[in-house]
Amino acid sequence: MSATDTATPATTTAVAPVGTINVFDPHPLNWLFITWNTMEEPIRTDPDGYIVMALAESAQWRDELTLEVKVREGARFQDGVACTAHSIKQNFDEVQRWAAPHPPGTYLNFHPEAECVVEDELTCVFKLPEPDGLILGKFRGFHIASPAFWREYGFGYQRIGTGEGHW
Amino acid sequence: MGIQRVRPDFVATNVITGDDRTDRVVLEANTDHNTPRVAQLQKVVFVNDVTPEQALDAVCDQDGVLDIVTEVSPADAQRVESSQYAKLVTIEANRVLLGIFNTYPDRPLADRRVREAFNLAVDRDRIVDEALAGYARPLGALTPPWSGGGSGAEPRARDAAAAKALLDEAGWSEGRAVTIATPAPFEGIAAMIAADVQDALGIGAEVIVVGDDEIVPGSLTLIEKKLTPPWDILIHAWFDLSSDLPPAVMHREFFGDDGAFRAGPPDAEFNRRFGALVKMTSAEEAQTAAGEIDRYCYDESKALFLCAPNALYAVNREVEFTAYKTTFELAEAQVSAQHWSRRNGG
Repeated sequence: MSATDTATPATTTAVAPVGTINVFDPHPLNWLFITWNTMEEPIRTDPDGYIVMALAESAQWRDELTLEVKVREGARFQDGVACTAHSIKQNFDEVQRWAAPHPPGTYLNFHPEAECVVEDELTCVFKLPEPDGLILGKFRGFHIASPAFWREYGFGYQRIGTGEGHW
Repeated sequence: MGIQRVRPDFVATNVITGDDRTDRVVLEANTDHNTPRVAQLQKVVFVNDVTPEQALDAVCDQDGVLDIVTEVSPADAQRVESSQYAKLVTIEANRVLLGIFNTYPDRPLADRRVREAFNLAVDRDRIVDEALAGYARPLGALTPPWSGGGSGAEPRARDAAAAKALLDEAGWSEGRAVTIATPAPFEGIAAMIAADVQDALGIGAEVIVVGDDEIVPGSLTLIEKKLTPPWDILIHAWFDLSSDLPPAVMHREFFGDDGAFRAGPPDAEFNRRFGALVKMTSAEEAQTAAGEIDRYCYDESKALFLCAPNALYAVNREVEFTAYKTTFELAEAQVSAQHWSRRNGG
């Protein structure tokens, strides 16, 4: 399966934002909506709910056990640090340390024996012990944070040695 | 955290037991972001120290206090539409409202004919029109028509005679009432279902409203599956964060081996179908398999399928907001030059 036919955001020059709005959102997933408005993942969804590329420029199966992900060139975190294939791997390795990294449930986990291998600055491959046809959907919850985040916060690892129960 | 299984695989679902929010959460635009999805607003302030009622008053009756209020009840839609300051934004969202059937072996709803009888007894069009003011789409199974992997299963029309015939064929213990548990917000809908069941099937129906202090223990009972739930039907709402492949979330959660909301023994046929789906790396094959899973759930009347409720927002008239089927996205939101935050050159 190829996901390269989904819309890929082009690099562009930002228009200066204007205005302030005040929002009341009692939804129990408010914490997740804020996450999605402040972080990026390899993919996101369009207004109709269909997967489109975000930090990933493409995601392509090389074979049933190997998914190649190309990272969008020029992507960078809020602190200006470049987001590369190494960032994807760092975040993957951090998430794999958790028993339950996703509040909705462990069904969103990657296979515990899956690996992320960096091939070059913008290419990483996910090597899986068995086919995972749902992995693109799992990427929606695969928040990519900067090295500074993991160094200073890291969902509890730096403060208490575990991320379980801290999002 | 509800631990469903530890061996051979660790399986768990987190349960929200509290919601401690700071009074304000402020998001500021990242002007260095280099895709077309760059924020149009300079600042978004989440206001958490008001009640839903106060929030609705503020967005409808005042300018410059609240600009977007989410999760507006259909009962309040007309008020928003007639407001001087707010407009109503709605979208057919990836949400479902259904009745979970307790299908443990000692329960009458373990019989497919009984489950189908309940699906034929209920008038879901009336529920949508009267309880949800039309802001919902009746569903035949779990996949809404706009999502991928649909089965085309049409909502069952109410047929009281066919429902009674099925129940008579399956049998129902004389004098036994069906128990319908519901969170307080759906009490009215549960009452409509109870009335339909009593009318069509000629059996008693008792509505049990689950108190706020019972939600977490009840959720753990359902998720952990160590105890049989005390109800026959639980009115339940859920959501999907993608439109691509609903069984990956919805069908799995309600009927799958690791499904948090499965209220009965594992369904080997469902698990076989879902197990094949998760190994499909071809999108086309997965869509076909997903449709067949939805059809299987329809044929087996795996739940009391009701409807897909809309998401409703009250939005200040000077704010341009794009509603998503899945999430609450603000990157595209904009304000006009007449908006309160810009009138003074802000």
